[in-house]
Amino acid sequence: MRLSSVLFTAPSNISARRPQREPIPFQMLLPLKLKKTVSGKGDKLKEAACMQELAVMFACFKKSEFDQQQCLKEVSSFQNCYKDYYKRAKVQREQGKKGVLVPGEKNLTHRQVNMLLRSFPPKP
Amino acid sequence: MNNIRIALREVIPNRLRTTSRNQWPNLTQTRFYARATSFPDYFQNPIFRKEDQAKLIENNELSKLAAIPVKPPAACETSSVYYDPLVNKVINHVMKMGNKQLARSLVEKAFENIKRKQIERYHLASTPEEKAKILLNPKDVLHRAVENCKPLLQLLPIKRGGITYQVPGPITEKRSLFLAVKWLLDASNDKERTVHFPEQFAWELLDAANNTGKVVKRKQDLHRQCEANRAYAHYRWQ
Repeated sequence: MRLSSVLFTAPSNISARRPQREPIPFQMLLPLKLKKTVSGKGDKLKEAACMQELAVMFACFKKSEFDQQQCLKEVSSFQNCYKDYYKRAKVQREQGKKGVLVPGEKNLTHRQVNMLLRSFPPKP
Repeated sequence: MNNIRIALREVIPNRLRTTSRNQWPNLTQTRFYARATSFPDYFQNPIFRKEDQAKLIENNELSKLAAIPVKPPAACETSSVYYDPLVNKVINHVMKMGNKQLARSLVEKAFENIKRKQIERYHLASTPEEKAKILLNPKDVLHRAVENCKPLLQLLPIKRGGITYQVPGPITEKRSLFLAVKWLLDASNDKERTVHFPEQFAWELLDAANNTGKVVKRKQDLHRQCEANRAYAHYRWQ
């Protein structure tokens, strides 16, 4: 019987290759406070725009053998929806790029949030 | 004649030009450049139509534009009643190697062919109702043809999990106009060598204005493909 294997697998605070011994001492790797900025990773527009109108238009197309003249109402509603969406996205993009703060706006872009944080820095 | 006028403009100094305006009432607004020029991107496009200028004045935006540098209008961009932005666009699409004169003559020849065919139809039609239906103005035919050829959707290749899906989505106004003109010209160029371009182009325009023909079929095929791929439509937003 070999005792060495038992010795080498026992918990230890010295070797990183073995399980740690409780209680584990706390090490502060990063400062314990929030950063003064937010990242812009989750800020992409994920709204599935105009899917309803698209489906309605496809249904009409299928019914009328892809003759556009018979689906004028559906086509115009789809196009108006896309136009509205495009306009909205453009405004949001431009304001987001500038970081302009709109009073009463609930959904802020990361640039707008950074702007706010810069003007009112969080206390340490 | 135009060249002489332009040459004179260069020669006549600024002070004299105003006095000579009565002598040369047709002096165009264009400037003569010895070679192709490019302008920095803060230069605005010129607004050369009287109705557009009137709109600017109405909205009080003229003073804003006055401080910004503006590109000179091209020689063809005039406030004439014969100027049509769509016709100009089509001419520019037909143009090869910058030969605008030839492109313009081809498009105008096509217009002439359309006019001849429509007048023939007009005189063959028996009842006044039938006559009223026939479009006699070739520019109206062009406008209707392009309107009928504009696609509503486009397919975009989007890669998901190593597979490229053709995802249907909405198309911008500008791109759909581009595709309509491109398809019309593709269809016209797909012809026998013995058939001349203006003739074939006239036929394609008449067909498209009538909502039939190769180009309208092509548009409908694109719509069919979009419909077949509609299950992937939500990939656009992920």
